[in-house]
Amino acid sequence: MAHDEKLISELEEKADIVRRNIFTIFDASQMGHAGGTMSLVEIVTALYFHHLKIDPKNCDWPERDRLVLSKAHCCEAIYAILVELGVLPRETLTTYYRYGSPLQGHADRWCTQGIDYSGGSLGQGLSFAAGLALAEKFKVLRQPPSQSSLMPRYITRYNPLYRSYCILGDGECHEGQVWEAAMFAAKYKLDNLINIVDYNKFSLDGPTNEIMQIEPFIDKWKSFGWWVTEIDGHNLREIVDVLDLASNLYGDGRPKCIIAHTVKGHGVPHWEAMHTHIGRGEVISRGVQEGRAKYGKV
Amino acid sequence: MAKYSQYVKIGERAVVADGVNNGMMKAAEKDDRIIAVLEDMGFPGLGWFNENAPERVIECGIAEANGAVVAAGLAAEGFVPFIHSFAFAVVSRACNQIRQSILQDRFNVKLLGREGAWGEPGISHNHIEIIGITRVMPNLVIVDPADVVEAEKAMMAIAEYIGPVFLKIEASPPPLRIFTDDYPFDLGKGYMVKDGKDATIIATGYMLTESILAGELLEKEGIDVRIINMSTIKPLDNEAVIKAAEETGAIVTAENASIIGGLGEAVATVLSEYSPAPLIRVGIEDEFSQSGRIMPEVDELKTHFGLGAEDVALSVKECMAKRERLKKRK
Repeated sequence: MAHDEKLISELEEKADIVRRNIFTIFDASQMGHAGGTMSLVEIVTALYFHHLKIDPKNCDWPERDRLVLSKAHCCEAIYAILVELGVLPRETLTTYYRYGSPLQGHADRWCTQGIDYSGGSLGQGLSFAAGLALAEKFKVLRQPPSQSSLMPRYITRYNPLYRSYCILGDGECHEGQVWEAAMFAAKYKLDNLINIVDYNKFSLDGPTNEIMQIEPFIDKWKSFGWWVTEIDGHNLREIVDVLDLASNLYGDGRPKCIIAHTVKGHGVPHWEAMHTHIGRGEVISRGVQEGRAKYGKV
Repeated sequence: MAKYSQYVKIGERAVVADGVNNGMMKAAEKDDRIIAVLEDMGFPGLGWFNENAPERVIECGIAEANGAVVAAGLAAEGFVPFIHSFAFAVVSRACNQIRQSILQDRFNVKLLGREGAWGEPGISHNHIEIIGITRVMPNLVIVDPADVVEAEKAMMAIAEYIGPVFLKIEASPPPLRIFTDDYPFDLGKGYMVKDGKDATIIATGYMLTESILAGELLEKEGIDVRIINMSTIKPLDNEAVIKAAEETGAIVTAENASIIGGLGEAVATVLSEYSPAPLIRVGIEDEFSQSGRIMPEVDELKTHFGLGAEDVALSVKECMAKRERLKKRK
């Protein structure tokens, strides 16, 4: 399933555009979750511009793939993409954190077109994504059997009605609820659920594994009955390949977990060096300056 | 016997949970979007589900945080999940999850919480703060049915209502059967069980039983008391409260919950803002509950908390005296 160079270079270009939009957001707000947003860029770029079954003109399409951003403080990356897809007007980029703006401080389903989950308090997104995945199973069960085919439904169904995607941060895996949800998803055989962990190794207080050890991380997910793999979360070819692989494994009765090794603040030296979680003032303006020097301005 | 309203006929004591079971079965039969979300504490009408729609039973185990958010996900896709467990588990254990994942988006999830003020299990399970905790949560409707008939009607009403609801299932002691089978339950409205001119008791849940008994005690002393069943605590029926204050001039609230944040406080807010009148709140002071025998004949905790009919009757007389004192001062 090797993808051609053209797709990868196109996605790389898109990722740069997304970064530029993010810099526009930060430049206006002078505040934001810079580190976790930058570590996420390639993952969400591959999802939105290649992998997800979505229709930017119809965000409420019942058969669209759902994306639950559990680390909802990194919504800047999603906003940057929604603007690029034409879901949100470009002017909104400079209104992040402002009163009355669709760009709320944390992703909000009510306020923003194209957002599937209202987050902020961490550790809940995987449960929500599991609920969406379970609902898909219910919906398929209730579909009238196909009139045109005599084949049993399980043979004709090599694709779910929609898939449920979740993006977790590594720090929020300290939450017990993540593991409640992991048990739940395995119990109900939610093979339409794909969870991506943005493993950028740092939380707010310091290195994630020093604050509270989550390693052996892969073994944990495995022992909970999940299909697990790990990738370089900044390598678009690897991301695209693993997303296709995880989707094609649909039907095996296992939820999927992709552990994406990333770098906090990726692409911006100042943020990388500081492992910036939430930045304000000088931290943001210096990072934006460095980023724009590297990736150009909108 | 006092003269009660049209849909009231006082009968034997009956367990509220039976009404909840019946209501749940009827609602689930009518609406196949209803999903039973279990948290290892059984479920009302579970036998019906297992027999007729086993695929609609989701068991989350003792993991209430996950259960609440999974339910939110189901509701986001158009299903109507009912979550059932102890009130401390289904609500308090998952407060943050309910706030963010259910209420913020006003998802159509119903929370059924067992056990209220008193019962054998003691402090942990006798969750007297639950009304105060839920009342501050935006978008949440709070219902505390008074008897077995109202419990059934309330279950069907909340299944039809689109939006999050918390329904308190009083485990014990069983209240009197108060309403007739054709009682028209109206979500969000108080119901005048008995009219009266001297004072008003506004009661919720089990305390309607004690208030009705109090009304009969007071009648023997020549006091004609109005009794309002306020089963929907939020949104509160402000009009019924204001009308009672204007027409009777003395209000007693009765609830088997902490008086901090409870029905009494809700009524006090309405009174002080719209129609000031003397008020006494009967409820549990700022303390924890404890274990105790709770048969209708021997109710150790009722006596301990001062929630019996005699206590309510005494409060009515006190409140009337308060009114007279205030009149003199003027």
